[in-house]
Amino acid sequence: MTKNMSEIFTKLNDLKNIFQFAEKIVPIIQSLIEFMQEMTPMLENINLSIEDSTNQMKQGTDRIENVTSATELATTEILDKVDEISNKLMAIEGCSKEISDKIGKKKALIQKLKEMLTGNDDALAIIDEFMEFDESSKFETIFSELGNINDDIFNITLSLQVQDITAQQLASVNHLISSVQGRLNSLINQIDKTNINEQVQVLQDEKTGIVFDPNASYTDKEGKQNKVDEIIDNQNQNQNVSQDDVDSLIDDSKKSASQDEIDKLFS
Amino acid sequence: MDLNFLVIDDSVTMRRIVVNSLKSLGYSNYTEAVDGKDALAKLTGDQSISFIITDWNMPNMSGLELVKAIRSGSDRPAIPILMVTTRGVKEDIVEALQAKVSNYVVKPFTPQILKEKIDQILANLN
Repeated sequence: MTKNMSEIFTKLNDLKNIFQFAEKIVPIIQSLIEFMQEMTPMLENINLSIEDSTNQMKQGTDRIENVTSATELATTEILDKVDEISNKLMAIEGCSKEISDKIGKKKALIQKLKEMLTGNDDALAIIDEFMEFDESSKFETIFSELGNINDDIFNITLSLQVQDITAQQLASVNHLISSVQGRLNSLINQIDKTNINEQVQVLQDEKTGIVFDPNASYTDKEGKQNKVDEIIDNQNQNQNVSQDDVDSLIDDSKKSASQDEIDKLFS
Repeated sequence: MDLNFLVIDDSVTMRRIVVNSLKSLGYSNYTEAVDGKDALAKLTGDQSISFIITDWNMPNMSGLELVKAIRSGSDRPAIPILMVTTRGVKEDIVEALQAKVSNYVVKPFTPQILKEKIDQILANLN
Protein backbone atom coordinates (compact mmCIF):
# COMPACT_ATOMS: atom_id res chain seq x y z
CA MET A 1 0.00 0.00 0.00
CA THR A 2 2.82 2.40 1.00
CA LYS A 3 4.62 1.44 -2.17
CA ASN A 4 1.52 2.18 -4.25
CA MET A 5 1.07 5.55 -2.59
CA SER A 6 4.70 6.36 -3.25
CA GLU A 7 4.22 5.55 -6.95
CA ILE A 8 1.12 7.75 -7.08
CA PHE A 9 3.03 10.65 -5.54
CA THR A 10 5.84 10.12 -8.02
CA LYS A 11 3.37 10.18 -10.90
CA LEU A 12 1.68 13.26 -9.49
CA ASN A 13 5.04 14.90 -9.18
CA ASP A 14 5.75 14.03 -12.83
CA LEU A 15 2.36 15.45 -13.77
CA LYS A 16 3.14 18.63 -11.84
CA ASN A 17 6.41 18.92 -13.71
CA ILE A 18 4.55 18.48 -16.97
CA PHE A 19 2.07 21.20 -16.04
CA GLN A 20 4.95 23.48 -15.00
CA PHE A 21 6.68 22.78 -18.32
CA ALA A 22 3.41 23.36 -20.18
CA GLU A 23 3.02 26.69 -18.44
CA LYS A 24 6.40 27.66 -19.83
CA ILE A 25 5.82 26.18 -23.30
CA VAL A 26 2.29 27.49 -23.89
CA PRO A 27 3.40 31.11 -24.51
CA ILE A 28 5.99 29.82 -26.95
CA ILE A 29 3.37 27.74 -28.76
CA GLN A 30 1.05 30.74 -28.75
CA SER A 31 3.79 32.86 -30.30
CA LEU A 32 4.40 30.14 -32.85
CA ILE A 33 0.69 30.04 -33.73
CA GLU A 34 0.62 33.83 -34.03
CA PHE A 35 3.73 33.67 -36.20
CA MET A 36 2.08 31.02 -38.40
CA GLN A 37 -1.07 33.14 -38.58
CA GLU A 38 1.04 36.07 -39.77
CA MET A 39 3.02 33.89 -42.15
CA THR A 40 -0.01 32.31 -43.86
CA PRO A 41 -1.12 35.47 -45.69
CA MET A 42 2.50 36.18 -46.54
CA LEU A 43 2.91 32.72 -48.04
CA GLU A 44 -0.36 33.18 -49.90
CA ASN A 45 0.98 36.47 -51.24
CA ILE A 46 4.19 34.78 -52.33
CA ASN A 47 2.12 32.06 -53.95
CA LEU A 48 -0.04 34.60 -55.77
CA SER A 49 3.02 36.59 -56.75
CA ILE A 50 4.69 33.51 -58.25
CA GLU A 51 1.46 32.60 -60.00
CA ASP A 52 1.24 36.12 -61.38
CA SER A 53 4.87 36.00 -62.47
CA THR A 54 4.22 32.66 -64.14
CA ASN A 55 1.36 34.15 -66.13
CA GLN A 56 3.50 37.13 -67.08
CA MET A 57 6.26 34.76 -68.19
CA LYS A 58 3.79 33.05 -70.49
CA GLN A 59 2.84 36.46 -71.91
CA GLY A 60 6.53 37.31 -72.27
CA THR A 61 7.35 34.13 -74.17
CA ASP A 62 4.27 34.62 -76.35
CA ARG A 63 5.44 38.13 -77.20
CA ILE A 64 8.92 36.88 -78.01
CA GLU A 65 7.41 34.27 -80.31
CA ASN A 66 5.31 36.99 -81.94
CA VAL A 67 8.44 39.08 -82.48
CA THR A 68 10.16 36.11 -84.15
CA SER A 69 7.15 35.49 -86.40
CA ALA A 70 6.86 39.20 -87.25
CA THR A 71 10.56 39.53 -88.11
CA GLU A 72 10.41 36.39 -90.24
CA LEU A 73 7.40 37.77 -92.10
CA ALA A 74 9.05 41.16 -92.53
CA THR A 75 12.27 39.50 -93.73
CA THR A 76 10.32 37.45 -96.26
CA GLU A 77 8.67 40.64 -97.51
CA ILE A 78 12.06 42.34 -97.80
CA LEU A 79 13.44 39.32 -99.68
CA ASP A 80 10.43 39.43 -102.02
CA LYS A 81 11.05 43.14 -102.68
CA VAL A 82 14.78 42.55 -103.16
CA ASP A 83 14.01 39.80 -105.69
CA GLU A 84 11.57 42.15 -107.42
CA ILE A 85 14.17 44.94 -107.58
CA SER A 86 16.78 42.47 -108.84
CA ASN A 87 14.44 41.31 -111.59
CA LYS A 88 13.70 44.93 -112.58
CA LEU A 89 17.42 45.70 -112.63
CA MET A 90 17.99 42.67 -114.83
CA ALA A 91 15.27 43.95 -117.17
CA ILE A 92 16.88 47.43 -117.24
CA GLU A 93 20.28 45.84 -117.86
CA GLY A 94 18.80 43.75 -120.70
CA CYS A 95 17.16 46.79 -122.32
CA SER A 96 20.31 48.86 -121.94
CA LYS A 97 22.39 46.10 -123.51
CA GLU A 98 19.92 45.91 -126.40
CA ILE A 99 20.05 49.70 -126.91
CA SER A 100 23.84 49.66 -126.66
CA ASP A 101 24.08 46.89 -129.28
CA LYS A 102 21.73 48.78 -131.61
CA ILE A 103 23.73 51.97 -131.20
CA GLY A 104 26.84 49.98 -132.07
CA LYS A 105 25.14 48.73 -135.23
CA LYS A 106 24.01 52.28 -136.10
CA LYS A 107 27.57 53.51 -135.68
CA ALA A 108 28.80 50.78 -138.02
CA LEU A 109 26.19 51.82 -140.60
CA ILE A 110 27.15 55.46 -140.26
CA GLN A 111 30.77 54.49 -140.80
CA LYS A 112 29.73 52.71 -144.01
CA LEU A 113 27.72 55.78 -145.02
CA LYS A 114 30.78 57.97 -144.43
CA GLU A 115 32.81 55.72 -146.70
CA MET A 116 30.12 55.99 -149.38
CA LEU A 117 30.12 59.78 -149.05
CA THR A 118 33.84 60.16 -149.50
CA GLY A 119 34.44 63.47 -151.27
CA ASN A 120 31.17 65.01 -150.08
CA ASP A 121 32.69 67.18 -147.38
CA ASP A 122 29.44 68.88 -146.38
CA ALA A 123 27.68 65.55 -145.80
CA LEU A 124 30.70 64.18 -143.92
CA ALA A 125 30.77 67.32 -141.72
CA ILE A 126 27.09 66.81 -140.84
CA ILE A 127 27.74 63.14 -140.02
CA ASP A 128 30.73 64.08 -137.84
CA GLU A 129 28.60 66.70 -136.07
CA PHE A 130 25.87 64.07 -135.58
CA MET A 131 28.41 61.67 -134.10
CA GLU A 132 29.43 64.29 -131.56
CA PHE A 133 26.06 63.66 -129.90
CA ASP A 134 26.91 60.01 -129.47
CA GLU A 135 26.62 59.10 -125.77
CA SER A 136 27.14 55.37 -126.15
CA SER A 137 30.28 55.48 -124.00
CA LYS A 138 28.03 56.27 -121.03
CA PHE A 139 26.61 52.76 -121.23
CA GLU A 140 29.79 51.54 -119.55
CA THR A 141 28.96 53.75 -116.56
CA ILE A 142 25.35 52.56 -116.61
CA PHE A 143 26.40 48.88 -116.65
CA SER A 144 28.96 49.50 -113.91
CA GLU A 145 26.40 51.27 -111.71
CA LEU A 146 23.81 48.55 -112.35
CA GLY A 147 26.42 46.01 -111.22
CA ASN A 148 27.11 48.03 -108.06
CA ILE A 149 23.38 48.27 -107.28
CA ASN A 150 23.05 44.51 -107.77
CA ASP A 151 25.95 43.93 -105.36
CA ASP A 152 24.41 46.28 -102.79
CA ILE A 153 21.05 44.55 -103.08
CA PHE A 154 22.69 41.16 -102.67
CA ASN A 155 24.50 42.43 -99.57
CA ILE A 156 21.09 43.43 -98.14
CA THR A 157 19.99 39.83 -98.71
CA LEU A 158 23.06 38.50 -96.90
CA SER A 159 22.52 40.88 -93.98
CA LEU A 160 19.08 39.35 -93.50
CA GLN A 161 20.82 36.29 -92.02
CA VAL A 162 20.55 38.33 -88.84
CA GLN A 163 16.85 37.32 -88.69
CA ASP A 164 17.67 33.61 -88.33
CA ILE A 165 20.41 34.33 -85.79
CA THR A 166 18.16 36.66 -83.78
CA ALA A 167 15.34 34.10 -83.88
CA GLN A 168 17.69 31.55 -82.30
CA GLN A 169 18.76 34.05 -79.66
CA LEU A 170 15.10 34.76 -78.83
CA ALA A 171 14.32 31.04 -78.70
CA SER A 172 17.21 30.71 -76.27
CA VAL A 173 15.69 33.45 -74.07
CA ASN A 174 12.32 31.68 -74.21
CA HIS A 175 13.96 28.46 -73.12
CA LEU A 176 15.62 30.30 -70.24
CA ILE A 177 12.29 31.79 -69.13
CA SER A 178 10.66 28.36 -69.30
CA SER A 179 13.46 26.92 -67.16
CA VAL A 180 13.02 29.66 -64.54
CA GLN A 181 9.29 29.06 -64.59
CA GLY A 182 9.88 25.34 -64.04
CA ARG A 183 12.06 26.10 -61.01
CA LEU A 184 9.44 28.48 -59.61
CA ASN A 185 6.84 25.79 -60.11
CA SER A 186 8.89 23.28 -58.14
CA LEU A 187 9.31 25.84 -55.39
CA ILE A 188 5.62 26.67 -55.17
CA ASN A 189 4.72 22.98 -55.23
CA GLN A 190 6.75 22.55 -52.09
CA ILE A 191 4.75 25.33 -50.41
CA ASP A 192 1.34 24.53 -51.73
CA LYS A 193 -0.35 22.56 -54.47
CA THR A 194 -1.60 25.02 -57.07
CA ASN A 195 -2.71 24.91 -60.67
CA ILE A 196 0.56 26.53 -61.78
CA ASN A 197 1.94 23.13 -62.70
CA GLU A 198 -0.56 22.81 -65.54
CA GLN A 199 0.26 26.26 -66.87
CA VAL A 200 4.00 25.57 -66.83
CA GLN A 201 3.44 22.30 -68.64
CA VAL A 202 1.54 24.11 -71.39
CA LEU A 203 4.33 26.63 -71.78
CA GLN A 204 7.04 23.96 -71.92
CA ASP A 205 5.09 21.91 -74.45
CA GLU A 206 4.82 24.93 -76.70
CA LYS A 207 8.57 25.38 -76.67
CA THR A 208 9.60 21.83 -77.44
CA GLY A 209 9.56 22.40 -81.22
CA ILE A 210 12.09 25.23 -81.08
CA VAL A 211 15.64 24.23 -81.83
CA PHE A 212 18.31 26.85 -81.32
CA ASP A 213 21.96 27.58 -80.77
CA PRO A 214 22.26 29.60 -77.53
CA ASN A 215 25.59 30.98 -78.77
CA ALA A 216 24.23 32.20 -82.10
CA SER A 217 25.78 35.57 -82.90
CA TYR A 218 25.87 37.99 -85.82
CA THR A 219 29.14 39.64 -84.82
CA ASP A 220 32.73 38.87 -85.90
CA LYS A 221 31.62 37.11 -89.09
CA GLU A 222 35.09 36.63 -90.64
CA GLY A 223 36.79 35.85 -87.33
CA LYS A 224 34.44 32.99 -86.58
CA GLN A 225 34.83 31.41 -90.01
CA ASN A 226 38.62 31.77 -89.79
CA LYS A 227 38.67 29.89 -86.49
CA VAL A 228 36.48 27.15 -87.96
CA ASP A 229 38.82 26.78 -90.97
CA GLU A 230 41.80 26.58 -88.64
CA ILE A 231 40.30 23.65 -86.70
CA ILE A 232 39.48 21.77 -89.89
CA ASP A 233 42.97 22.38 -91.27
CA ASN A 234 44.51 21.04 -88.07
CA GLN A 235 42.31 17.99 -88.15
CA ASN A 236 43.08 17.18 -91.78
CA GLN A 237 46.80 17.57 -91.34
CA ASN A 238 46.53 14.80 -88.79
CA GLN A 239 44.67 12.19 -90.83
CA ASN A 240 45.14 9.58 -88.12
CA VAL A 241 43.68 11.61 -85.33
CA SER A 242 44.46 10.24 -81.91
CA GLN A 243 42.02 10.33 -79.05
CA ASP A 244 44.40 12.79 -77.38
CA ASP A 245 44.00 15.14 -80.35
CA VAL A 246 40.23 14.90 -80.12
CA ASP A 247 40.36 15.29 -76.34
CA SER A 248 42.56 18.35 -76.60
CA LEU A 249 40.14 19.89 -79.09
CA ILE A 250 37.21 19.03 -76.88
CA ASP A 251 39.01 20.39 -73.81
CA ASP A 252 39.22 23.64 -75.68
CA SER A 253 35.72 23.22 -77.00
CA LYS A 254 33.94 26.11 -75.39
CA LYS A 255 35.99 28.59 -77.39
CA SER A 256 34.58 29.60 -80.75
CA ALA A 257 36.49 28.09 -83.62
CA SER A 258 37.84 30.22 -86.45
CA GLN A 259 37.23 29.40 -90.13
CA ASP A 260 41.00 28.87 -90.45
CA GLU A 261 40.83 26.18 -87.77
CA ILE A 262 37.89 24.56 -89.54
CA ASP A 263 39.67 24.72 -92.89
CA LYS A 264 42.70 22.96 -91.40
CA LEU A 265 40.43 20.11 -90.37
CA PHE A 266 38.75 19.78 -93.76
CA SER A 267 41.48 20.71 -96.26
CA MET B 1 29.90 20.10 -113.14
CA ASP B 2 26.13 20.55 -113.12
CA LEU B 3 25.30 20.24 -109.44
CA ASN B 4 21.81 19.70 -108.07
CA PHE B 5 21.67 21.02 -104.51
CA LEU B 6 19.47 19.99 -101.61
CA VAL B 7 19.22 23.05 -99.33
CA ILE B 8 18.00 22.18 -95.82
CA ASP B 9 17.07 24.76 -93.20
CA ASP B 10 14.00 25.24 -91.01
CA SER B 11 14.29 29.01 -91.54
CA VAL B 12 12.63 30.14 -94.74
CA THR B 13 14.86 33.23 -94.66
CA MET B 14 18.04 31.16 -94.57
CA ARG B 15 16.86 28.83 -97.32
CA ARG B 16 16.22 31.80 -99.58
CA ILE B 17 19.58 33.36 -98.75
CA VAL B 18 21.44 30.11 -99.46
CA VAL B 19 19.49 29.63 -102.71
CA ASN B 20 20.12 33.25 -103.78
CA SER B 21 23.81 32.79 -103.01
CA LEU B 22 23.90 29.61 -105.11
CA LYS B 23 22.18 31.47 -107.97
CA SER B 24 24.76 34.27 -107.71
CA LEU B 25 27.46 31.59 -108.05
CA GLY B 26 25.80 30.27 -111.21
CA TYR B 27 24.05 27.23 -109.72
CA SER B 28 20.38 27.06 -110.65
CA ASN B 29 19.37 23.49 -109.74
CA TYR B 30 18.16 23.10 -106.21
CA THR B 31 15.53 21.50 -104.00
CA GLU B 32 14.56 22.79 -100.55
CA ALA B 33 13.81 20.84 -97.37
CA VAL B 34 12.62 22.10 -93.98
CA ASP B 35 14.41 19.57 -91.74
CA GLY B 36 16.46 16.39 -91.79
CA LYS B 37 13.43 14.13 -92.09
CA ASP B 38 12.08 16.05 -95.07
CA ALA B 39 15.58 16.00 -96.59
CA LEU B 40 15.92 12.23 -96.29
CA ALA B 41 12.57 11.77 -98.04
CA LYS B 42 13.58 14.14 -100.85
CA LEU B 43 17.02 12.55 -101.17
CA THR B 44 15.46 9.12 -101.53
CA GLY B 45 12.93 10.38 -104.07
CA ASP B 46 15.36 12.34 -106.24
CA GLN B 47 18.52 10.54 -107.33
CA SER B 48 19.71 13.63 -109.24
CA ILE B 49 20.53 15.47 -106.00
CA SER B 50 24.31 15.64 -105.92
CA PHE B 51 25.21 18.08 -103.15
CA ILE B 52 23.71 18.77 -99.71
CA ILE B 53 23.86 22.06 -97.84
CA THR B 54 22.34 21.68 -94.38
CA ASP B 55 21.73 23.64 -91.22
CA TRP B 56 22.41 21.96 -87.85
CA ASN B 57 19.62 23.17 -85.52
CA MET B 58 16.33 21.93 -86.89
CA PRO B 59 13.23 20.29 -85.43
CA ASN B 60 12.28 16.63 -86.08
CA MET B 61 15.76 15.69 -87.33
CA SER B 62 18.84 17.86 -86.88
CA GLY B 63 21.51 18.40 -89.50
CA LEU B 64 23.94 16.24 -87.54
CA GLU B 65 21.43 13.41 -87.29
CA LEU B 66 20.86 13.75 -91.03
CA VAL B 67 24.60 13.50 -91.75
CA LYS B 68 24.87 10.38 -89.58
CA ALA B 69 21.81 8.85 -91.26
CA ILE B 70 23.16 9.53 -94.76
CA ARG B 71 26.70 8.33 -94.00
CA SER B 72 25.68 5.15 -92.25
CA GLY B 73 22.30 4.04 -93.47
CA SER B 74 21.45 5.51 -96.87
CA ASP B 75 22.12 4.44 -100.45
CA ARG B 76 24.10 7.69 -100.99
CA PRO B 77 26.76 7.50 -98.25
CA ALA B 78 29.39 9.49 -100.19
CA ILE B 79 27.27 12.48 -101.23
CA PRO B 80 29.01 15.80 -100.39
CA ILE B 81 27.53 17.50 -97.33
CA LEU B 82 28.29 21.08 -96.37
CA MET B 83 27.14 22.11 -92.89
CA VAL B 84 26.10 25.80 -92.67
CA THR B 85 25.30 26.67 -89.06
CA THR B 86 25.55 29.22 -86.26
CA ARG B 87 27.33 26.59 -84.13
CA GLY B 88 30.97 27.64 -84.07
CA VAL B 89 32.45 26.06 -80.95
CA LYS B 90 35.18 23.46 -81.40
CA GLU B 91 33.18 20.71 -79.70
CA ASP B 92 30.48 21.06 -82.37
CA ILE B 93 32.97 21.13 -85.24
CA VAL B 94 34.72 18.01 -83.96
CA GLU B 95 31.35 16.28 -83.62
CA ALA B 96 30.47 17.25 -87.19
CA LEU B 97 33.86 15.99 -88.41
CA GLN B 98 33.38 12.69 -86.63
CA ALA B 99 29.98 12.41 -88.33
CA LYS B 100 31.86 12.94 -91.64
CA VAL B 101 30.55 16.25 -92.93
CA SER B 102 32.51 17.32 -96.01
CA ASN B 103 33.06 20.89 -94.85
CA TYR B 104 31.72 23.46 -92.40
CA VAL B 105 30.63 27.10 -92.70
CA VAL B 106 29.52 29.32 -89.84
CA LYS B 107 26.64 31.78 -90.22
CA PRO B 108 26.54 34.54 -91.20
CA PHE B 109 28.34 33.52 -94.38
CA THR B 110 29.17 35.18 -97.68
CA PRO B 111 28.74 33.66 -101.17
CA GLN B 112 32.55 33.76 -101.49
CA ILE B 113 32.94 31.46 -98.47
CA LEU B 114 30.19 29.22 -99.84
CA LYS B 115 31.95 29.02 -103.22
CA GLU B 116 35.29 28.35 -101.58
CA LYS B 117 33.91 25.42 -99.59
CA ILE B 118 31.92 23.97 -102.52
CA ASP B 119 35.05 24.14 -104.69
CA GLN B 120 37.16 22.51 -101.95
CA ILE B 121 34.69 19.65 -101.60
CA LEU B 122 34.52 19.11 -105.36
CA ALA B 123 38.33 19.21 -105.60
CA ASN B 124 38.59 16.55 -102.88
CA LEU B 125 36.13 14.37 -104.79
CA ASN B 126 38.31 14.37 -107.91
